[in-house]
Amino acid sequence: MVAGHPVIRGIVRLACEGAGLTVGVEAAGLAEAEAALASADAPFTVCVLDLELPDGDGLRLLGRLGEEGRTVPTLVLSERRDGRTVLEVLRRGAAGYLSKPDGLRRVGWGVRRILAGGAAVEPDLERAAIEELGRTARQAREGARLQGRITRRERDVLALMSEGLTMQQIGRRLQISPRTVETHVRKLYRKLGVRTRVQAVSRAAGLGLLELR
Amino acid sequence: MARRAALVSAPAPAPAPRRRIGVVLVDALPVVRAGLRLLIEDRPDLEVLAEVGDGEGALDQLARTRRSRVVVLVGLGLSGERDAYWVIRTVRERFPSHAILAMGANAEPAAISRALFLGADGFVDKNLDPVEFLQALRAAARGEMVLAAPPSVALGAVARTLDRRRELEVRLTEREREVLEVAAEGLTARQIADRLGVRERTVTTHLARIYGKLGVGNRLSAIRVAARSGLVSVGATE
Repeated sequence: MVAGHPVIRGIVRLACEGAGLTVGVEAAGLAEAEAALASADAPFTVCVLDLELPDGDGLRLLGRLGEEGRTVPTLVLSERRDGRTVLEVLRRGAAGYLSKPDGLRRVGWGVRRILAGGAAVEPDLERAAIEELGRTARQAREGARLQGRITRRERDVLALMSEGLTMQQIGRRLQISPRTVETHVRKLYRKLGVRTRVQAVSRAAGLGLLELR
Repeated sequence: MARRAALVSAPAPAPAPRRRIGVVLVDALPVVRAGLRLLIEDRPDLEVLAEVGDGEGALDQLARTRRSRVVVLVGLGLSGERDAYWVIRTVRERFPSHAILAMGANAEPAAISRALFLGADGFVDKNLDPVEFLQALRAAARGEMVLAAPPSVALGAVARTLDRRRELEVRLTEREREVLEVAAEGLTARQIADRLGVRERTVTTHLARIYGKLGVGNRLSAIRVAARSGLVSVGATE
């Protein structure tokens, strides 16, 4: 169990005992949880993870729980109810997502569901995640469509634009004249349907055409 | 004149009866289509516009429909060159305002992800309770994204497959993706070349470049990456 607040830890402990489980490890933050994961000799059956931890975002731990072929079924608790976060949590392999504070009543139910190999996501949070998935799919499709229309040179220009280089600098880097750079930029704007450099970069990144470092 | 008179004397228009949702059923299995027709025709707000068992026919039927609220239900089991994915992609291109709902039984996350990527507005499982099935249909008609029946964990898996697909789109050129798609059917380089109308030598060059970009050593591993990304469907999806 990883949760910062003692009250939440208490609720989770009660819920787990109700489900016939003993809480092997209680961590109050990321650092404690990492240490427990590293030194644990017996594999965990289930993990209850609060995303709002005093020393950082619990999402980071979720990423780690998914790595190394070790997937501990995890029930996430969070104040965040937006589709993007819920989908990200599920993407990183969590089996359940309950909101705080309303969902805390359902921790016992969630743990039992997960233990049975099922999923425990609150219906409206699941809805939000599905909408977000739809957005992701549309963006991926749109990105792929543009992908085929943007030339390699335009992509080079885009990458350098995203690093904040001026037209002159981009031209020098690619050994083309500033005029040619401007032509590329104009075509890029048209294809992306934008008017400014910032819009171009943010749109391209959103469509997965550009990896922002 | 007559028009103006009509305008003046016309009684306040009665609230227009809400247009029914038109449903086009596309599934390889006649029994499935018949069952869905029975289920749908029983409802006052839904109407089956057409039912077809092949991709080409589905597009023909849609071209004849002059309706605004249309949901196209596509069974992922539709195979052949005009398979379910072809239908989804083509309907999305030609009828951007229609809702497309993919359906399958025990479909893999990669198959669901592929359907969504190509333009489906959702997926419904054929194992679903009929009442929930109809709710999913109505939600799709309202323009909502629908993912009904597969367990929520599948949501994460579908999202991960979409991410991988996106990565593949960035890394491979369109031609390379085409080569990989055909290669996944188990064709030899020679056969791939024939299919795409290029020289065998060109295909092997493409394949070598694909292996390099995907960081794999052979064709089988490349196909596995493609399948995990939902670029191709290997094996049955139903």
